[in-house]
Amino acid sequence: MADDVTQPRIGVDEWVASVEGKRERYRGPVGWLRRGWDSSPPAARLLVFVVPAVIFPFVTSEGNLFRYGLITLLYALLGLGLNVTVGFAGLLDLGYIAFFGFGAYTYGYVASAHANHHWPAELAIPLAIAVAAAVGFIVGFPSRRLVGDYLAIVTLFFGQAFVVFVNNANRINFWPFNHTDLTGGANGLDNIDPLNVFGWKVNTTKEFYLFTLGAFLLVMIVLYFVSESRTGRAWKALREDPLAAEVMSMPVNRLKLMAFVFGAGIAGFAGAIYGSVQTGAFPGDYDIGLLITIYAIVILGGAGSLAGVIVGALIVNGVPELLRDSNQAEWLFYTALVILVLAKVRPWQKLVVVVGGTLGLGFALHAIADAWFPRWTAGQPNDGKLAHWVSHWMVLPSHATQLANWAYVLTIALILVLTLLHGWWRTIVFIPTIYVAAFAWENLLVENTAGATRFLLLGALLVVLMNVRPQGLFGTARVEIV
Amino acid sequence: MNWSLFWDLTVSGVTLGSVYALVALGYSMVYGILKLLNFAHGDVYMIGAFMGWFALHWLGGPVNPSVTAGLVVVFMFVFAMLACGGLGVVIERFAYRPLRNAPRIAPLISALGVSFFLQNSALLLFGANFRDYDTFDLIGAKTYNYKDIFLSVPQILTIVSAIGLMVGLTLLVARTKIGKAMRATSFDREAASMMGIDVDRVIASTFFIGSALAGAAGVMFGLVFGQIYHFMGFLAGLKGFTAAVIGGIGSIPGAMLGGLLVGLAESYATGYLPQGSTFQNLYVFALLIAIIIIRPQGLLGKADVNKV
Amino acid sequence: MRRRAPAIAALVVLAALASVAAASATVDRAAAPSAAASADRQLISCGKVVTMGMLAPITGPAASLGKPQVDWAKYYVAQHNKVNKKHKLRLQFGDTVLGGPGGTAEAVKAAQSFGGNVLGVVGPAGSNEVKATTATLKGAGLAFVSGSATNTTITTDGTRTGFFFRTVPPDAQQSKDVSTYITKTLKAKDVYIIDDQEAYSTGLADEVQSQLKAAGVSVSRDGVSQQQSDFSALIAKIPRSTDVVYIPWQLPPKGKALGEQMRSAGKGSIKLMGSDGLFDPDFASVGTNVYDSFFPVSSKSAVVKAFTKSHGGNGEFFGAPSYVAAQVVGQAIDRACKNGTASRAEVRAQVRKTNLKTSLLGIPISYDKFGDIKRKKFGIWKSNGTDFKPVG
Repeated sequence: MADDVTQPRIGVDEWVASVEGKRERYRGPVGWLRRGWDSSPPAARLLVFVVPAVIFPFVTSEGNLFRYGLITLLYALLGLGLNVTVGFAGLLDLGYIAFFGFGAYTYGYVASAHANHHWPAELAIPLAIAVAAAVGFIVGFPSRRLVGDYLAIVTLFFGQAFVVFVNNANRINFWPFNHTDLTGGANGLDNIDPLNVFGWKVNTTKEFYLFTLGAFLLVMIVLYFVSESRTGRAWKALREDPLAAEVMSMPVNRLKLMAFVFGAGIAGFAGAIYGSVQTGAFPGDYDIGLLITIYAIVILGGAGSLAGVIVGALIVNGVPELLRDSNQAEWLFYTALVILVLAKVRPWQKLVVVVGGTLGLGFALHAIADAWFPRWTAGQPNDGKLAHWVSHWMVLPSHATQLANWAYVLTIALILVLTLLHGWWRTIVFIPTIYVAAFAWENLLVENTAGATRFLLLGALLVVLMNVRPQGLFGTARVEIV
Repeated sequence: MNWSLFWDLTVSGVTLGSVYALVALGYSMVYGILKLLNFAHGDVYMIGAFMGWFALHWLGGPVNPSVTAGLVVVFMFVFAMLACGGLGVVIERFAYRPLRNAPRIAPLISALGVSFFLQNSALLLFGANFRDYDTFDLIGAKTYNYKDIFLSVPQILTIVSAIGLMVGLTLLVARTKIGKAMRATSFDREAASMMGIDVDRVIASTFFIGSALAGAAGVMFGLVFGQIYHFMGFLAGLKGFTAAVIGGIGSIPGAMLGGLLVGLAESYATGYLPQGSTFQNLYVFALLIAIIIIRPQGLLGKADVNKV
Repeated sequence: MRRRAPAIAALVVLAALASVAAASATVDRAAAPSAAASADRQLISCGKVVTMGMLAPITGPAASLGKPQVDWAKYYVAQHNKVNKKHKLRLQFGDTVLGGPGGTAEAVKAAQSFGGNVLGVVGPAGSNEVKATTATLKGAGLAFVSGSATNTTITTDGTRTGFFFRTVPPDAQQSKDVSTYITKTLKAKDVYIIDDQEAYSTGLADEVQSQLKAAGVSVSRDGVSQQQSDFSALIAKIPRSTDVVYIPWQLPPKGKALGEQMRSAGKGSIKLMGSDGLFDPDFASVGTNVYDSFFPVSSKSAVVKAFTKSHGGNGEFFGAPSYVAAQVVGQAIDRACKNGTASRAEVRAQVRKTNLKTSLLGIPISYDKFGDIKRKKFGIWKSNGTDFKPVG
């Protein structure tokens, strides 16, 4: 503690921090973990991530390694770059994915049959980084004076422009690109070479995973030192209060530009790896959807936090993948429900009422439906044990589409109402909310787990998380002084 | 010069511009009061288009409406506007209000979350298929012309109702008590609350009005261009937003002017520039960036004085 | 000192990691090919149920394309299981979310989610998805048969020969038939081509454009984003003297929107020609001067009639080639399973040997060395105001 006082903590008002500390005094295992995490040295924290990450490829199947491991790492690497621009320097860069695209296309251009270049990765990757960083400079330079939201707009359009550009750059027929095929147009660049690093051909999922892990750790360690350096501290000062930073004679414009270029370079690095993993670069891959995903990762983990990026990527990529299989999704949904009830309903009297009430309500309704309205239980339960058990408790009408739609809308309404209630009212409304939610889940959501469901849950998660912890999971609460 | 092409492009630009202007108004009003970019606005507009479609089908559908076509159209507008207004208030209450004192980026991400949620909920509830308004069946495919200027009924309807709504909004903001409260709140929220203005209510009504306008825009889009689907909000939101920024974000006449300019720019770019339709969006973005760099506060916006 | 310690620790970790990576890499390089080969030839007992994978855009912006494909493939499997008593087919779906936030990575993840029991794959739908999933599916030794990826080069470039097959003729064939019809039968002098800026569309548009130009037709070319439904400015640009507007698009409702907006702009008399992606009653309803190129599906065929009956309403013809794709994979699995076991390599070999004398598409299905069907043919259809009827 004594050390902390001598070192000024930029961005954290001491008084606010102490209040926050009092409020966040967690009890039980969570508190123990948190205190342990906060007091351990960075290298130990890194090990917590590195050890499982290194073991993972040797204990799982190739498919799982790709879905949960490689893609998560790539997203986390992208998140690290965005974290520099948004998390460290507080610049709202909405064109970030374009830099990722520049990386992939640059690598693809110099290492595929498209233009008949086959550069080794030790040359191609630095080139991809350089191109992305250079483009970052070009975009950042005129935008450096733009404040906050205006920067967001300009960069958002830059991102859009990138997609339009790569989609059409195979047949621009005006000067100076008379009929050159730069990007393969809508067909993209195909058959991109595997990475060839000093003769090591990175080809299988496991090799890609290990290479990306190495790249990720490298970037992470560099970023750790940068964030602790003079520049890193200046970025944070800039994020907290640009005006004050300027008054303190910091070169604000240059700092912004640096953050922008730094982030773009990392995105370019990730892009080169991604292009090689996908064996192709296709215009649709670098669109706004991915941008939102990466933002969600960074903000969810806590802007400015390196550990947060990893956790964010695990959640944002992992949760939808877990939900892909309806059987797994079923388990995930009910586990989450049980945890929510256990964590949110206190004291134990209320807990008993909620659990008993929900179970009772379900069995009663099921019994009534069974006896008088057989159509209401005629629906086919999904595959899997859990779904089968649930079908004794939940009514499953045979043609439920319309009804399930209304139940879905009702679920949202009930959840919103629930946030407004307190005391015993809340406990009582909890019971039908759980049941209606489970009804909507069984009859509508679980069938769409591969698509709409996973993404709408992600959206809801973002809203809820921002409401509960605006600073993100690993972020530090800050107070804006007006 | 080919005048017939010019007028065709102008009419299409003005029609489109009216839709953009209505979307832009919502962005602009919310920004003026909360300094928040409401990314979910485009999706509210999409929901409005769907609500209009449902209203149409509750009244018997486009081919055999149970009341006259005029009434059907009025009902579609009213229903979509009310539903979207309500949706806007709910979104504000649950997704933005708890974050009013949080760091600036938090409500932005919350807004992205809402946008994601609305889009995928629409996909889930309404399905992936496109839905047709079948405007021709409802109000006929008749076109009117003055010399070379051709106008179809839906186009006239869109332009006239957009003008009506904008005049109404201007009067509301300039003449009524709530309008005055809105102006006061957007000027200085804290001072307004000290003067006894219920800021929460003012913000809620701003969201109601802005979202209702987006709903109206959604219905207009359906009437003129025929088809709606769950992903339509994204592009329209982007364009409405561009319009708001070009006009000067926070300024109501600015949003209208911006909408019109974006609509016309798109139309003329498609018609006159090389590979115009392909690069249409690029040309519009280029216009935007040029304007932002030359006049960062937008055409009719007031330069922001930074107070500390 | 306090600040140095983590740095040193971090570097140590990195070095350790690098050495692990290098060690495993050397091991992998030696082991990988033989591992792949063994998975490829591994015999799976056919038992009572054999699994066939299917990759399709079940959700996302292109979900309206995936639905007919899934419906038709499911229909084939149901038919197969009624007749075949020896073993039943089971479809395992992978959602590729075509056009969604994850891009083509989503398709690869879907392909990676298939377990070891999958013997062959139907799909994926888009040509770019085919390219992105090639490494995964080829690495697993799976045959994949698409019912809609028409890009000419995905077979001819040789990257996926022996693994990838399709039941639709390539763009090169379609463009030839279309431009012949436009020049010979419609005798058009002035053609306006609009693509929708997706791979499928631009490829087809490029080929038709160059062939029409070669035939001396004056051609204008434009593109419009698939997300756009406002075509008024574009329509204003189309000269009234144009004979044919050719739109090789993917979404029938967009085709309809263009048609209707042309009508409202007083240009409804210009002929409109679509492609296989627009083959749908929705597009046909624009008017009687609407043409389309499609596989010659015989609407009189008993299968089509039965499908239409069981699914109510329109025949979702866009999915018909996926029925044939499911048929090709299903029958290959049946043949490979004759002795009770099958391997992915056997299934691949059997797909290559496919020889359907007749099919739902009205053409025999057998494969050339690239994985394209030997007898390529496209039909030209004309709308009667509500539906398409074959004219050539």
